[in-house]
Amino acid sequence: MEALSGLALAVALAGLGLWAMVTRRNIVWKLLGLNVASGGSILFLVALSHRPGARPAIRGLGPGPAVDPLPQALVLTAIVIHFATLALALALVIILTEHRHTQDAKRLEEEQ
Amino acid sequence: MNAALLGILSYLGLGVLGILFGRGRLAAVLALVAGGVTLSLWAPEFPEGFLGGPPLGIALAGDFWALGIWGLALLLHAAVLLHGWKKEGLFHAIITVLIGTCLAGGVSRDLFNLYIVLELATLLSVILVAKEGRSPAVWAALRYLLLAGVGMILYLFGLGLVYGRTGLLAVSALAHADFSIPSIRIGVGFLLVGAAVKTGVFLLGLWLPPAHGQAPTEVSALLSGLVVKLGVMTMARLAEAFPVEPIVLALGILTGFGGLIYAIWEQDLKVFLAYSTVSQLGYMLLGLGLENQEAGLFYAVAHGLFKGLLFLSAGSAIEGAGKRKISELRGGLPWPAVLGLALGAWAIAGLPPLAGFPGKYALALSSPIWAKGILLGLSLGTAASFSKLLPILQPKNGDQAGGIFLLTAAILGLGIWGIFLFPGLWRLNPWLEAVLPAGAGYGVYLVLRKVPAKIRRLPLDWAILSALLTSLFLIAVVLFA
Repeated sequence: MEALSGLALAVALAGLGLWAMVTRRNIVWKLLGLNVASGGSILFLVALSHRPGARPAIRGLGPGPAVDPLPQALVLTAIVIHFATLALALALVIILTEHRHTQDAKRLEEEQ
Repeated sequence: MNAALLGILSYLGLGVLGILFGRGRLAAVLALVAGGVTLSLWAPEFPEGFLGGPPLGIALAGDFWALGIWGLALLLHAAVLLHGWKKEGLFHAIITVLIGTCLAGGVSRDLFNLYIVLELATLLSVILVAKEGRSPAVWAALRYLLLAGVGMILYLFGLGLVYGRTGLLAVSALAHADFSIPSIRIGVGFLLVGAAVKTGVFLLGLWLPPAHGQAPTEVSALLSGLVVKLGVMTMARLAEAFPVEPIVLALGILTGFGGLIYAIWEQDLKVFLAYSTVSQLGYMLLGLGLENQEAGLFYAVAHGLFKGLLFLSAGSAIEGAGKRKISELRGGLPWPAVLGLALGAWAIAGLPPLAGFPGKYALALSSPIWAKGILLGLSLGTAASFSKLLPILQPKNGDQAGGIFLLTAAILGLGIWGIFLFPGLWRLNPWLEAVLPAGAGYGVYLVLRKVPAKIRRLPLDWAILSALLTSLFLIAVVLFA
């Protein structure tokens, strides 16, 4: 049940983020959408590693089954990559705002 | 395996040192030497091994894809280094890290490692595209980052679905997995979409033409020549692990002709070459879809070399004339640029004896008759789109251009080697089959030149939306096919 609600939340987050990316015209909003969606993809991987009644994958937390540690290790890398993407994109937005004085995707597209 | 790891680590390490300490050019030269030495140590292949021990380690293997990607990467790096020798050191250092990433991608056979490599390549490419700070280039880079980000989110979802069911990430282990389970099928659909977005497949990867067209010359050559090949290689790995060849084939046909339609009427020289890259991706995907991966790889390497040559020459032409429109470039180009454009167009049209000729022959060799028809159609369209370069090929003055000569030698060498590789090329038929579509393509160009066409480029919102809708469609196809 917990795993299922986690997965549903992950899909909902990704859908919400992608929706914002398509509908919002401001590129900062688009970036926020991308970030929410990547949060969804990370939550998806974490929720998938869940097993009913399992303890966290840390050594010394007692007996019983542990969750699958590999997706959590993968997620760490993915988080770093998403952080780097967001930071780089915001730097590009700063350059664009200085040059063009707008953050509207449509106007940025037109004035080429 | 250790030799390959040493090569990758020296590339990445020297690149980072170059960024930190500002001796980028020296770092690039040293890395190139290290890359060449380590390639000669492990070539032509090494068996699959697990970095960190099986079964959870990262699967690495030196198969023919690794060999092709490494050879292409080192040759292009040498050409770019020669061509952009006067650029600042930081530029060369970032390029060194990018090449190191591509080398790592070439040997990895693990879905998550491929994800990391693709993301790293995207980030470095975006930095390189936007580095000069011109606002069209920055905007193209941001578009690239946003669309690639969407693709990679979908890829992560697919990775989760496949891993959640099978507990596997290595390509060779996944080849034995049960493909009939619906969640695996959906996952494979997501993976395929993510790789297709990165590759620049038509309607999914519409970030490619503006980014490749607006980037600095050397970066365009690397992006079109090498970075998109990483996406192609990822799709090849997916086609190896799962039976998705028919879908890759359909994507290849769509990409080939979709890119052509844009390429024929595009007037900006570099954006035209970028659309032509989209169309040429169709050839490589056709190779994968027809279960002829060696031919796909041969074409990918050949395309990397001649498209690198075309972009380097186009860059010197544009810098020499100060204009970007093809019609305005007539006359007054430096002669190495004219040589490169002419030979690049000759090779991309598949005319003997340059590298495109055995590449196209290898693709057609074992394919059914309808696929040969598609390939002929693509050749004709390619020749038609490149015919518009002919009027501007009038050399004027000289200019030093080592990279252009290196790549010219490379496409000539690869072409002649390919002719010796395929004994079937010693007959008259393939030569006629190469020359006739090219000639017909010139005829088509003469007709189409009279047709004014204003094809709209898709704005960002529509590019994202079309990527999402196409991916939904593709996932449905994978699920129910």
